Amino acid sequence: MKILQILGCLLSLGFGVVQASEVSAFDAANEKFTAGDYAGAVAAYEALLEAEGPSVAVLYNLGNSYQKLGELGPAILVYERARMVRPRDGDVVANLALARKQAALADEQAQASWVEVFFQHLSRHEWACLVAGAALVIGVGSLVAAGVRVWSRALRGSFLAGLSVAVLLMGSGAAALYLRRGEADLGIVLAAEAAVRLSPFGSAESLGSPGAGRKVRLGQKSGDFQFVEVPGTSLQGWVSAKEVARILTNED
Amino acid sequence: MVTGFKVMNLLYCIKSLAALCVIFMLGGAGIAAAAEVEAQLDRESAAAGNGAILSIKVSGSDAGQPELPTLENFVIQPRGQSQQIQMVNGRTTRSISYTYVVGSEVPGDYEIPPIGVMVNGRKVFTKPLRLKVLDAAAAQAQGGAAGGAPQEENEEDEAKRFGFLTVELADAERKHAYVGEIAPVRIRAWLPAESRAQLRSGIQPEGKAFTLHNVSGQPQQTEEMRDGKRYLVVTWYGGMSATKAGKYPASLSLNATVAVRDRSAPQPRRQMGGPFGDPFFDQVFDQMNVPMVEKDVTLKSDDQLIEVRPLPVEGRPAGFMGAVGNFQMDGVEIPENWTTGEPQQIGVRVSGSGNFALMKAPELLPGDAWKVYPGKASFSAGDEASFSGSQTFRFSAVPRKGGAQKLALRLSYFNPEEGVYKTITSAVKDLRVAGDDLKELPPEPVPEASQPEKKPDALLAQRAQPTGRVELAPLSERREFRWMLSLSGLLVVLAAVVKGLRRRWSDPQRAAGLAVEKATREALSTAERCVVAKDVSGFFAAARVAIQQRLGSLWGQAPQAITLAEIMERMPADSGLVKLFREADRHAYGRDVSGELGREWQDLLDEVMGQLRPPAR
Repeated sequence: MKILQILGCLLSLGFGVVQASEVSAFDAANEKFTAGDYAGAVAAYEALLEAEGPSVAVLYNLGNSYQKLGELGPAILVYERARMVRPRDGDVVANLALARKQAALADEQAQASWVEVFFQHLSRHEWACLVAGAALVIGVGSLVAAGVRVWSRALRGSFLAGLSVAVLLMGSGAAALYLRRGEADLGIVLAAEAAVRLSPFGSAESLGSPGAGRKVRLGQKSGDFQFVEVPGTSLQGWVSAKEVARILTNED
Repeated sequence: MVTGFKVMNLLYCIKSLAALCVIFMLGGAGIAAAAEVEAQLDRESAAAGNGAILSIKVSGSDAGQPELPTLENFVIQPRGQSQQIQMVNGRTTRSISYTYVVGSEVPGDYEIPPIGVMVNGRKVFTKPLRLKVLDAAAAQAQGGAAGGAPQEENEEDEAKRFGFLTVELADAERKHAYVGEIAPVRIRAWLPAESRAQLRSGIQPEGKAFTLHNVSGQPQQTEEMRDGKRYLVVTWYGGMSATKAGKYPASLSLNATVAVRDRSAPQPRRQMGGPFGDPFFDQVFDQMNVPMVEKDVTLKSDDQLIEVRPLPVEGRPAGFMGAVGNFQMDGVEIPENWTTGEPQQIGVRVSGSGNFALMKAPELLPGDAWKVYPGKASFSAGDEASFSGSQTFRFSAVPRKGGAQKLALRLSYFNPEEGVYKTITSAVKDLRVAGDDLKELPPEPVPEASQPEKKPDALLAQRAQPTGRVELAPLSERREFRWMLSLSGLLVVLAAVVKGLRRRWSDPQRAAGLAVEKATREALSTAERCVVAKDVSGFFAAARVAIQQRLGSLWGQAPQAITLAEIMERMPADSGLVKLFREADRHAYGRDVSGELGREWQDLLDEVMGQLRPPAR
């Protein structure tokens, strides 16, 4: 029993140290931002992401730092990452809209239909959790329904209502995941001068420039070049892989 | 009635036919006897493999087909004919135009000799024509030389190749604007007719002298000719305003991605001819297949100078507060009964066209007996660019003097079209103000509820507190998601299996069958025990029960209801079953029953039960 207590204390101590170091690094990055050292803040936030993994606060603050530096492409990229995780975060949505406006990009929210707005109200992760939860409820519920011999009328009604809600949620979630299945292939153009070329060579003819922060659909890679399609236009071709980044990085 | 209509129609047809006959007879008589034949080529030279168009126009009443000459390495292919009849002052002229495609694959100078046509019984000849057939490369060079304009012109053409903007005051007669005026302008993007364009930005002023307002959201699209070229013209309407007097260039720009046909792309040289096997149609086909070249461009307008004049000082009314435009005042709402010191709302609507943003509420006339507080103004646009519309003002006023009063509203504005100040006044209204004159200013009225603050168009603040780690990849992209779905699917399958098993086990027929089998087995077991114990009566009683149970199951009857009589009806009389059941009955119902229990009864029971197999479930 004593050994368990000691282990618990050690674990909580370790966790506290980790938390403390994270907080201090976060505060240090925020101080750099407040002092106007935006480049330093960017480096600090990037280091924090590298060490601790992504978090909405760090992504948001990093986006602000990039925006202060006038680097709209990277700013829009990290805001998009934050928004994909927390689509209802008002600050993230507002600053992303501001960055897109400064980059002379169309307001996506204004153009979205009510169906798209509905399905984008939750993140894909949240929809997936909803689908998985509903599926488990349906599975367990079916097993219970098959195993229980006697049902009271009230219990039977409640059970059927619950099962119907689970089926509805699962259907909505499945529809959302299906309609948003292409988001894994979306990327952001980082550089304003990024050129879409006819073939994956630096000397190839430039077909046009999508502009920094433009959302593109990523295709195959060839050497140092990435095939992209600019949604809503006929522009498609090869962009230097350094000038474009995938929004969701840690795909399975 | 129907017959009447038919007669009318018939008469109408006859009249029409007669009129047509008269026209043709007159026409035939009037057709000019003069015959004329003209031939012309649409160009002097053509590239080898490409064609020129030869037109032969024959005028005359009785004309035959042109007699085409035959030339070595030179092709003349007919491409149709058309006929024209003209009636002028009763004189009718008829002409037929024949069209041919001519050309050669071999470069050189070709002369098309005079072509003869029989007209009114005599042969008329065209003038000889010359066509220079050039080598394809030379033709291209000549094409370049033909457009040998000065280099600056070429550069200008290249700059405008992807389109350009024009901006002009909507009122073409005006060449100036006034400070504070929103001058309506028409902005047009001229794009090559066969181009594809995608706008990447809104229209932006190039300099800081002018500000662009209310550009129409839905531009109009038309096709127009300019300098001999066909353009797709996208037209917006908007307003430009300047805050300082002077002459400023009103240049605008627009970022767009434009794709145009690349005329400089080399034409394919065919060894075997084109898809139509015809130079003329192949040329059209080739033009359709000219590749597109796409480019990000900034369409700009020429720097057109617009003079911005200051508002004149002369004639400026005392109550002028910056309104520029042309306005009317209506919808005046002034309450009749007032009390000194108590505020009431006054409403007025000002409609017209102009700079509503700079307009203040009309002033009260006379104003010295009233205290006015700023109110609200709501604008309702009359057109897409918000040049015209109406602005409704609502503000509070407090009378400072009691008694009967007269009150009107007055608005002064500058009319930029006429270049003069104007003042409009509403109808005078008689009011009754109760109470004594106020000596001091009345207290401030309760301010109206303020509008919710709009979010500033600036970066929102940093997060001060860190948040927990998140996974960017959603659950649906991970293996666990598939496991969870598989598990739930497995649970549903398991539930279906459980449900099936439950249904099977709770089947009453099956339960009854099992009970019968159990009873049969118990009876047979008792019979075996009776054999060991040499209990004759017990053996036959148990055998009887076993047979009844099995037959009941087979025949779908209650076992107790099965009797020897029924068995004898349904089974042969010499069967072992009948023999065994009769013996069992004898032991059950006989008075003096004795006898030994031989092995043969045991074997017979086994045989009978073997024959009476239970139904399969």
